[in-house]
Amino acid sequence: MAGANPAPPAKLKVVIDGQVHEFSPGLTVLEACQQVGAKVPFFCWHPGLSAPAVCRQCLVEIKGISKPIPSCYTPVADKMEVITNSPKVLDVRRQMLEFTLLNHPIDCPICDKAGECMLQKHYFDWDARVARNDGGKVHKAKVVDLGRHIVLDQERCILCSRCIRVCNEVARQPDLVMAFRGDHQLLTTAPGQRLDNPYSLNTVDVCPVGALTAKDFRFSMRAWELLASPSVCPGCATGCNIEIHAACGAIRRLVPRPNPAVNKYWMCDDGRMTYKRVHEARFVAPTIAGATSSWDAAVAEAARLLAAVPPSTLGVVLSAQMTNETLFAFSRLAAEQLHTERVYLAGAGEGWADDILVSADKNPNTTGAKLISGLSLRTATDLKQDLENGALTALLIVGEVDGVSFDLPLVVLASHQGPTASAAKVALPFAMWAEVDGSFTNRQGKVQRLHAALAPAGQSRPGWEIASRLARALGGVWAYENAKQVFSEMRDKVTLMSGADWGKPEMPVQLRFANSRG
Amino acid sequence: MGFGDAANLPEDDELPSENMPLNMGPSHPAMHGTVRMVMEVQGEKIRTVDVQIGYLHRCFEKEAENATWTQIFPYTDRLNYVSPMLNNVGYALAVEKLLGIDTKIPERAQFIRVIVGEISRITDHLTCLAASAMELAAFTVFFYLMKAREWLWELLEELSGARLTHSYVRIGGVVADLTDDFCPKLRDVLRRCRASIADADKMLTSNRIFRDRMDGIGIITRDDAIGWGLTGPVGRSTGLAYDVRKDHPYLVYDRFDFDVPVGSKGDNFDRYAVRLEEIKQSMRILEQAMDRLPRGPVLIDDARVALPPKREVYNTIESMIAHFKLIMDGIVVPPGEIYSFTEGGNGELGFYIVSDGSGRPYKCRVRPPCFANTAVLNKILPGLFIADVVPTFGMINMIGGECDR
Repeated sequence: MAGANPAPPAKLKVVIDGQVHEFSPGLTVLEACQQVGAKVPFFCWHPGLSAPAVCRQCLVEIKGISKPIPSCYTPVADKMEVITNSPKVLDVRRQMLEFTLLNHPIDCPICDKAGECMLQKHYFDWDARVARNDGGKVHKAKVVDLGRHIVLDQERCILCSRCIRVCNEVARQPDLVMAFRGDHQLLTTAPGQRLDNPYSLNTVDVCPVGALTAKDFRFSMRAWELLASPSVCPGCATGCNIEIHAACGAIRRLVPRPNPAVNKYWMCDDGRMTYKRVHEARFVAPTIAGATSSWDAAVAEAARLLAAVPPSTLGVVLSAQMTNETLFAFSRLAAEQLHTERVYLAGAGEGWADDILVSADKNPNTTGAKLISGLSLRTATDLKQDLENGALTALLIVGEVDGVSFDLPLVVLASHQGPTASAAKVALPFAMWAEVDGSFTNRQGKVQRLHAALAPAGQSRPGWEIASRLARALGGVWAYENAKQVFSEMRDKVTLMSGADWGKPEMPVQLRFANSRG
Repeated sequence: MGFGDAANLPEDDELPSENMPLNMGPSHPAMHGTVRMVMEVQGEKIRTVDVQIGYLHRCFEKEAENATWTQIFPYTDRLNYVSPMLNNVGYALAVEKLLGIDTKIPERAQFIRVIVGEISRITDHLTCLAASAMELAAFTVFFYLMKAREWLWELLEELSGARLTHSYVRIGGVVADLTDDFCPKLRDVLRRCRASIADADKMLTSNRIFRDRMDGIGIITRDDAIGWGLTGPVGRSTGLAYDVRKDHPYLVYDRFDFDVPVGSKGDNFDRYAVRLEEIKQSMRILEQAMDRLPRGPVLIDDARVALPPKREVYNTIESMIAHFKLIMDGIVVPPGEIYSFTEGGNGELGFYIVSDGSGRPYKCRVRPPCFANTAVLNKILPGLFIADVVPTFGMINMIGGECDR
């Protein structure tokens, strides 16, 4: 059958707005237009979902076909001639927008989506005519409690079905349906059902208007006031790429950032709620024996405590919640200054998982910890055993350790108030993932960057910086000034990280200046 | 020549004296708008002058980069703050040209822009003449002219809601139509202004004391005016008949009959006389504009440029969205650059604007007439007496808000 091998697919020649372009087969006309910069608006199409061609906003003219054709649904073909900006197409677009706006409520001033709304954007870009409808509007339910995280406003819904496809195709749980026909048509759940799948908040992201809103974010902040910083979700080992949306010194929501290799366009609901921990009962000032002290005094006291312990009975407990930079700095501290081999890895433990995005390992950086420390890391179980058999006389704990009670001298780096911080002889506050520049290594071994979205809470400092101060107090000559220096050294020393890239610096961007992303 | 270098003093000095540094301003009653002059004087005579500007810098151009195109109007009010309407109009025309809607501005809006602009030109000249007369001790004249200015500003306040910072013009037209009795009121105000100005004219023009301080002082030649980029009354006082309204007509100026007065000597008195005559010519334009004022809308009918009426905003989703987008994102001006210039109170007021297609200017540069006019002071003041600084500076009419931005 040697001769039957199909030839490599030929490029298709397609004319778009008078220009000849070449495309691979399998592309839709809409994707082809996007590739060459021909503007075609759409509501129902989404790059991560199937195309049902229900909104009719992406209609284009194709030579030889008398009616306008939905470009999102039509594959490109050789010698096809596409026109995206003829008077006829522009007119059809305007008419479709007029239909869509016919029963849309006048909600912009109170709508969470205003400012990042696709309907607003398309009306302004493609219609910008005054209303011709002077009749009333069809009214539907304004507040439908759809599920744990979601509230639906049926009036605002433009029936694009994106949310239905998210449930069907991403969460694989068909929770949402359309009911009725004509201007009575509405989005709903089956009787007695609720929208409670673990990916339900993605429906809010894909909603082109403000029909689906997150209970958590609803009415909390105007979209254009938010500052967006690229980061990585700390919820599990998957490391979904996210944008932190913060305003007035607090995180307001986390949204997924597209990355085809990791999370595509999505993230789970649990991941979105991880930001709450950043603002909960933070431990904000260094303490010595429970009394607030200065950083200098606390570091000196911690160094004195650590130096007084014989290295063979000193344990260092790291956490897989830490960034690579913090883990590398403390590994170096343990080896060079504390001379101990008793390095344990603790963390958040295991939880539920699925084959979509969620990992059982609830730590974002287990892979990073293992790569940095090699195989010498001891586990939380080892820690428990060693504590029971008295092999340890003092501990340096970076982070929190659950379910273990301590009655030996402790130096603790804490981000939150709690039993570990209270039990410590010296407790030092450290900055959390959203407050530092750094990196996590996900379960695939991808090193992904975090960008600081907030200033560290209170007097807390990044972990690698605290490690440097301790090292200097113990006589080491360390000169890290920023996380990038730690990263560079780590990349040089850790063989399996040699390909990692720190990337470009990114300042938070105000969504207003991102020019209506809708 | 260094200080104390007595041996090198010119021979014509009867009593040799040491050179002395003298500061005028920045806080000095005659240094309108905060400017500092560092002079080297020999007795009463000025040897060198260093005019230092910048005390009223407000980052206009940088602020403009962070404001929507519409939000810049209040900043333009504060450029030449005695003729804010002219700045409003000049800026609006620049943006409209870049948007390509300059030919679609309703005719009535163009007439209204001419009317409010010419009123502003009159108030600008009145302020200049009144303040300069006062500084030469003619206090009565100050009151006569300020009274006239106040009548005009009261009228603009009735129209725009603000006495000085009107922000009345919008991209695409003006924010509201003239009030019902605006034209009769303006005619009445013009009648009273004419009387006031005639009184002031009588008290100054043939006043020996005033003429002695003005005649032959601060002479600028026509060539210098061209070389230094002097425009407006300062340029015209030298005989340079350049008026943007005549030479590059904008709005509907080509439809009016008015003269461009020019001087012959280029001294302080010529600058005074040109301003006085320009007030009269502006009044001529005003009367013609009122006679021919057409009916119709005062704002362009384009939802991407002009805010829809409030009634529509509250009752239709289309206008609500348009309102929202115009307020939050701003008018989308296509990428490009433009230099647009108009006749401001003190000469050619230019706006050089660059758009990158977002809702805000990438660059919004002003060519303030005052800047070039003030620069020439370094050239014309040396050789004059200290007392001549006041009328000469007054007739240059530097406005700090515009010069420094």
